[in-house]
Amino acid sequence: MFHWLEKHPFFFAVAIFVTIAFAGLIEILPNFAQASQPVVGTKPYTTLELAGRHVYIKNNCMGCHSQLIRPFKSETDRYGHYSLSGEYAYDRPFLWGSKRTGPDLMRVGNYRTTDWHENHMKDPAAVVPGSIMPAYRWMFKNAADIDTAYAEQITVNKVFKTPYNTEIPMADGTKATVPLAATVDEAKAAALVEAKVIAADMKDQDVKDAVAAGQIPEIVAIIAYLNSLK
Amino acid sequence: MNKTVLAAIIVVIAMLGFTYVAVGMAGGMGGEGDWVNKLAVLGAVVLVIVTSFVVTKYVRQMQNDRAGGKLADENWDGIGEYKNELPFGWAVIFLGLVIWAVWYFLAGYPVNAYSQIGEYNEEVAAHDAKFEAEHANMDDETLKEMGGSIFIVQCAPCHGLQADGIDGKAANLNVRLEEKTVKHVINNGQGMLGFPAPMPDRNGLMNVNTNALITDAEIDAVAKYVAGGMKGTEGADVFAGTCAACHGADGKGMEMVAPSIAEFNPTLVADVLKHGKKGAIGAMPAFNNLTEAQVKALGAYVTDLSK
Repeated sequence: MFHWLEKHPFFFAVAIFVTIAFAGLIEILPNFAQASQPVVGTKPYTTLELAGRHVYIKNNCMGCHSQLIRPFKSETDRYGHYSLSGEYAYDRPFLWGSKRTGPDLMRVGNYRTTDWHENHMKDPAAVVPGSIMPAYRWMFKNAADIDTAYAEQITVNKVFKTPYNTEIPMADGTKATVPLAATVDEAKAAALVEAKVIAADMKDQDVKDAVAAGQIPEIVAIIAYLNSLK
Repeated sequence: MNKTVLAAIIVVIAMLGFTYVAVGMAGGMGGEGDWVNKLAVLGAVVLVIVTSFVVTKYVRQMQNDRAGGKLADENWDGIGEYKNELPFGWAVIFLGLVIWAVWYFLAGYPVNAYSQIGEYNEEVAAHDAKFEAEHANMDDETLKEMGGSIFIVQCAPCHGLQADGIDGKAANLNVRLEEKTVKHVINNGQGMLGFPAPMPDRNGLMNVNTNALITDAEIDAVAKYVAGGMKGTEGADVFAGTCAACHGADGKGMEMVAPSIAEFNPTLVADVLKHGKKGAIGAMPAFNNLTEAQVKALGAYVTDLSK
């Protein structure tokens, strides 16, 4: 075999490549495969959360806010447990960001609430003195794009086998199921049910009226998304 | 004389000369040089001589040696290979490396390798140990001071730097209760503070004075009474008849039954931080990431705010 290889330079080169790559393969691939598995308790996004995620991306929130807590005492004290790669399993694309003009938002759902987000989005400086974050008042008027969110759900479900309609183990031992609607109308109805829960905690009368009339303003979607970040 | 030996001698003389000049300029060779410098110069001389000797030996060996021994069977276009013994030193090093590799693979790398999370865990453990040692027995002043700085980071984003709730966006912690909060609790009940029996809503609140469910007028009166610091007479009878059974005649609460509604106290603050809250104003998340000492400090600080 070795004599044969030595007479065939191309296959010899291939054999050398495989030999040298072997160490890399056994070191990198298993770790990579393990780390990319969803962490227990990580759920796919619901339609409304995904629509909120699109609002987050559309307004380029990741330009100022990261979603990645590094394993330093100073960061975990402020933001919670450091990030694990499996927590991004259903993030397409992930929104790590590379700059923190504002605070990290990886686990903002643990320490902020719907009403705080509402106050803050309307006038950031009113709740955080000296904040340079601009107000996002148009989110209270613009309608969230549920169609695109639903289309993304179907796509990731078909292409990447994102586990919708499947029991997912949670950290406390229970099981959770994130439903995927069969039609876009069902998806809109389900998103509206979620939106009503959030609107009930809000104060803005225009938003409450809009949700009662069956519309979903962007602010409701992005609050659903931010509340899901845990 | 052999050309190689001649070249070696010239190199030795040149290097020794260079060393002499360099060290001499640093003052090492003169009378003021100490013995460490002299030892260093001696070492340099020995190194130069040994190096020259070894290099000369191998250069001459390359010039003179001829390959020999038993030829191996393999033959590549006329290029053969001798079956010589392994050099002893080489074989020892090779075997040593094999043993080291096994150790490194099984123990050296897995046990001693650097890990970012490992460093983080050490950092946290060291910090926690230092923190606990430093703050084992805090006096009231230190507790309040610590609570104040935690408040700025964790609580001020909602309750405001002045703890006034920023125009009703969160609870005003400078007073124990506001009228609308009391009304909301009576109307809707409250079950989040971890007491075994949660407070019922108005359909479960009897006024023993009238022996009937609490009425709207009574709620208005008692809300004013509680929010006003339980002074005066208006609403006092409703309080005595309805609330005092659990919250105590003085409103200071009972352990395992109901919290104090007369004042903030560290237990109440700890309960709210542990369970979160949802009431007239909005929802407050639980803050379970705080340590015991931090909860105690916040308790002292918040209690002090409304005094």
